[in-house]
Amino acid sequence: MFSRNKWAWSSEPQTEEGSQRLFRVILTNYWFLSHDDAIWTAAWGKSEADGTETIVTGSLDDMVKVWKWSDEKLELQWTLEGHQLGVVSVDISHNGAIAASSSLDAHIRLWDLESGKQIKSMDAGPVDAWSVAFSPDSKYIATGSHLGKVNIFGVESGKKEYSLDTRGKFILSIAYSPDGKYLASGAIDGIINIFDIATGKLLHTLEGHAMPIRSLTFSPDSQLLVTASDDGYIKIYDVQHANLAGTLSGHGSWVLNVAFSPDNTHFVSSSSDKSVKVWDASSRACINTFFDHQDQVWSVKYNSTGSKIISAGDDRAIHIYDCPM
Amino acid sequence: MASFGWKRKVGEKVSKSAVQQFEAEAQKAEDDGPSQEEDVDWLHAIKRRREILLEGCAAKSKRLKDEGAQLAEQGRHWEAIKKWDEAIHLTPDNPVLYEMKSQVLTILQEVFPAVKAAEMAVKFRPLWWEGWQTLGRAQLNLGEVDLAVKSFQVAIHICPSERTLWQEDLAWACRLQKQHSATEEKIRQEEETKRQILNAPELEQEYDFESDEVLAACEAVAERQTRYEELKRTAVVVDAEGNIKNVVTGERGSEDTATPSKEKFVKARGL
Repeated sequence: MFSRNKWAWSSEPQTEEGSQRLFRVILTNYWFLSHDDAIWTAAWGKSEADGTETIVTGSLDDMVKVWKWSDEKLELQWTLEGHQLGVVSVDISHNGAIAASSSLDAHIRLWDLESGKQIKSMDAGPVDAWSVAFSPDSKYIATGSHLGKVNIFGVESGKKEYSLDTRGKFILSIAYSPDGKYLASGAIDGIINIFDIATGKLLHTLEGHAMPIRSLTFSPDSQLLVTASDDGYIKIYDVQHANLAGTLSGHGSWVLNVAFSPDNTHFVSSSSDKSVKVWDASSRACINTFFDHQDQVWSVKYNSTGSKIISAGDDRAIHIYDCPM
Repeated sequence: MASFGWKRKVGEKVSKSAVQQFEAEAQKAEDDGPSQEEDVDWLHAIKRRREILLEGCAAKSKRLKDEGAQLAEQGRHWEAIKKWDEAIHLTPDNPVLYEMKSQVLTILQEVFPAVKAAEMAVKFRPLWWEGWQTLGRAQLNLGEVDLAVKSFQVAIHICPSERTLWQEDLAWACRLQKQHSATEEKIRQEEETKRQILNAPELEQEYDFESDEVLAACEAVAERQTRYEELKRTAVVVDAEGNIKNVVTGERGSEDTATPSKEKFVKARGL
């Protein structure tokens, strides 16, 4: 397996008051090295046991691929077969041992990242598996459903443990707050719901966007919730008071994915306008834009330290960016 | 002033109405010519005219589109396509025109042009799920089941709340895909048995003709022949739940070609 390094400066290296802060692409895995079809989802995890970094990607070609990231190289470790249709969402448990994937065939599968074997396959019922997210203790997996219910599956049991009802529409996006207190869901009609996990009560319903919310993420300190929508805007909410703290524009089309940096200072967004944008969380300004994809960018994620970003999309390319801290 | 006209060869790629509009515009420009001042700002005049022309194109294209839709509703499909083709000449990047054209071409069983038109629609608007749905349906008609399954999945990924995509399009395409692979598997089996009949492994070794081995070998060959016959008479059927079954077709049951009994061989040996 060879990987091709692309030592090119990004469109316009940004400098920030004195310190040289350079954003650049450090690796590009083109389509012939990645998947046979559009890549819809990606996740970046770190193993607690040996500290190795793992990237998982899911694609329309029904495959889940596991990559090892070491020495600035991307090496294919496993190709996980099992899904009958396209893979919509993947997530890695917080200890880096297990990956979860959901597909249009309505199955959620759990994979052992060490051995590349399937641990469990859970039938979520027709149309009932979209985004998957591990709880902070990695004991549960949350997924949205078409009737507006958030179903919580047990990792150990492989069964549906309970569900939270938003009484809304199709849930496209799911996020746990890192402190384990809240669960947020984004629906296709633009409604955001925030649940208290301990009591299972619906805390807030926010009419944030008028269009589908394809992604949402909490800040690492669990204070902020960032949402991405087809209306082209990114919104930031104060979780405790359910206040809108800011609306960001900049993308020319649907915003497909957002991810918060673990150092709490930045977040990154990807869009169907083929760009990836890095935002400063305090000033709410876009500090860098990458135009390295040829097509829609469906997924963007930070690594565990926030020093790297991965993006993947319809052009089947995987880009890894260096991100100054 | 030298006369200036929009004289162009009218090829088949140029719509008649567009040419007429060009000529009318040119005529008007000539008529206006003498009455204008001596030093005309040609650069801006031309620019302005182009803008007006572009606006005119969009409006005219919309009118043609609506006319085509009406014709299609009345079942006058070819006329509708003609209208939309003219509209496409005026606004070549409007995905809605291609999508409607593809639907009507599908009705007319023009399967390949239908796929081509739908491909243009998704090219110009890749985030429009209806375009992908139409493309998938056109691909199904062409027999490209695998491609259709992909197109329906892209449509669902864009708009997962659309129930018809799940329940009708994707489910149907997946069932066809299953059926297709089952049929292929059957053909493979059939060929495998046929190959074994032609050079049966039993014939490759030497036999003591008085032993029971010969009997066993003959039986095995006969068995295989009947299996081949059976395979030829079965058809792959997919029931309503999507389960695949091999069903024996034809009037003759399996009685005629029942496995030759042991006695027959024994008799033959006795002769």
